[in-house]
Amino acid sequence: MDAEFWAAVIAGAILAGMPLLLAALGEMVSEQAGILNIGLEGMMLFGAYGGFVVANWTGSSWLGFLGALIAGMAVAMLMVVFCVRMGRDQIVVGIAILLSMQGLTSLLHQVQFGESYPRLDGVPSIPIPGLSKIPVIGPSVFDQPLMFYIGIVLIFVVGWVLNKTNLGLNIRAAGWKPVALDNAGVDVLKIRTIAVLVTGGLAGLGGGYMAIIAAGVFVPFMTHGQGFIAIVIAMLARGRSVWVLIGSFLFGIALSITTALQLVGVQVSTDLINMLPFLVVILALALFARQSYLPAALALPFERGKR
Amino acid sequence: MKHPTYRHLVVLMLILALVLSSVALAACGGGDDASTDTGDGGDATESPAGIEVTKVAVITPEKGNDYGWNQMGVESAQKAAAAMGAECIVQDGAGYGDITPIINQLAEEEPQLIFAWASGYQTVAANMAQQLQIAMTSADPGTEEANIPMLVNAVEENAQDGAYLAGILAANMTKTDTIAIVASADDLNWAKMGGGYIAGARSVKPDIKILYVQIGQAGYADAAGGKRVTQNAISGGADIIFGFGDGSSFGMMQACETATPPAGADNVYFIDVIGDKSSLDEKGIYLSSVVWDFEQVDTQLIEMLEAGTFGEESVYLGLDNGLSLLQTDLIPEDVWTACEEAKAGIMDGSIEVPLTTSAEEVKAMIAAGE
Repeated sequence: MDAEFWAAVIAGAILAGMPLLLAALGEMVSEQAGILNIGLEGMMLFGAYGGFVVANWTGSSWLGFLGALIAGMAVAMLMVVFCVRMGRDQIVVGIAILLSMQGLTSLLHQVQFGESYPRLDGVPSIPIPGLSKIPVIGPSVFDQPLMFYIGIVLIFVVGWVLNKTNLGLNIRAAGWKPVALDNAGVDVLKIRTIAVLVTGGLAGLGGGYMAIIAAGVFVPFMTHGQGFIAIVIAMLARGRSVWVLIGSFLFGIALSITTALQLVGVQVSTDLINMLPFLVVILALALFARQSYLPAALALPFERGKR
Repeated sequence: MKHPTYRHLVVLMLILALVLSSVALAACGGGDDASTDTGDGGDATESPAGIEVTKVAVITPEKGNDYGWNQMGVESAQKAAAAMGAECIVQDGAGYGDITPIINQLAEEEPQLIFAWASGYQTVAANMAQQLQIAMTSADPGTEEANIPMLVNAVEENAQDGAYLAGILAANMTKTDTIAIVASADDLNWAKMGGGYIAGARSVKPDIKILYVQIGQAGYADAAGGKRVTQNAISGGADIIFGFGDGSSFGMMQACETATPPAGADNVYFIDVIGDKSSLDEKGIYLSSVVWDFEQVDTQLIEMLEAGTFGEESVYLGLDNGLSLLQTDLIPEDVWTACEEAKAGIMDGSIEVPLTTSAEEVKAMIAAGE
């Protein structure tokens, strides 16, 4: 196997890791604000569907990503209404969102695309001058669609907002000390609403990335459990966005290596090879979970006047 | 005249009981002819009684418009039912979980035969067939042990025979002498087709390089995984992709459509399985498909039920009754002729296609030829 092959393996890791990165980043914001978003996969799925529909109709991947963002936020509104505003159980509502989005997108897909199964043209990549010429890493990492670079930038933007701004402080306070935040005169429900909508938007973008760039097609149930892996990554990240980046690409690399091992003809059981990405996640949990700490008010509804 | 004593009454009751039970046994015997042989001669006992089929049902795990397994299952059942003058109830998208409630609901419609169209339905179909006394098919693996007279009939595919033809096609069409198998899951049929494909390709080019890669344990609908893995196979030099998947096939096709062909090749072609997606091909990459058309198999099953032979032996989909290689405009005449000759060879027994039943056997077969 030549350099082109290994470049494709790294590119494959990015392709697999980016939807996770965007969704996990969103989940991290939500968790920091005290909302456990079990319905993340549903938001990804609806984002994938919305993004695909818009990109397919307009022929523009950018409008597609806008559609994905809005679709994810629309689903997140359900979480806002039921969990933030009405104080319903976040796990139950999250599961309901997941199941309903699976059913809804499957139904909509059947009605709209059941006969035609349209596929999108590839999204053009943007080579970074100089860096894209580096062997193996150049064409795989520095010759990607613009959305990839935006995703990387978002990591640092979210990290900066969470750690260096008043809004970020309020978000973290909504997850750790919502009563204190309320006493300080900040509307906890408003902060949590913002956080959940940001989560929905980012999860939608993750789904959109999957449908528009990673697959170029929408098929029912295509998120394939990635939302739950994103939740795990967000928990391991403990509010640090760079760890989301590391965790997502660790999973993506593991997934891509499973392909590479098979293609180079490594005589190991396919079952074992396919377990690799999940073993990586379990290993990461075993190594870091004990140190992981979650916001004190995570998954707890907030009601003014109640402690 | 003496009045009947208590003893007389008891004897009378015993005689009546004996007569009534004899009548009842005779009546039950008529109903049991389908499954029992009393050994006392007569037409009814030598051949089990058949059932007139006026209504059938088909249950598929996913929607019947996937251009794959589910669509072929639904359409085949509908066509077979129509040909036999029967009604067909479709219950698609039943999922991979417990379908007991769905079967119970279908039973209220009183179909004489239910096509339980997934390998995962095998156990529940067998149980429900016995419980409800409704004939059901049992898909994959179609071992004879699965058969129960007039209740369960196994269906199996000789998919390796069709894949052998695909292998001949791929070996003739490749420019890089590297071809790939992309499997969506660890699946018996995918393994069978993998072995057939390798044998077919090597019958044309013994030194051909064959790549094998699996998306995941059950990545049937993983379109993104299908695209990613196929891209890697193409970057490994493959210019013909033989893809085994349902929803993931669309990702594989997308990878072929958007890929930069490997050095030495002008195009990357896709060979599909089960369904025919050629109508969706806008970029000229859909080389062929190993089509599984179950209409004849389903018709045979209905006929067996009507003849009273249902559940006696497994029914196989083969090159003689619905398994075929799809001819498209992308296949040159001489290559198609080679495929047709191989088909004739398989059918007359002069070509024996190996049977592989696991991904490990497929990989071992690839390694043995390198």
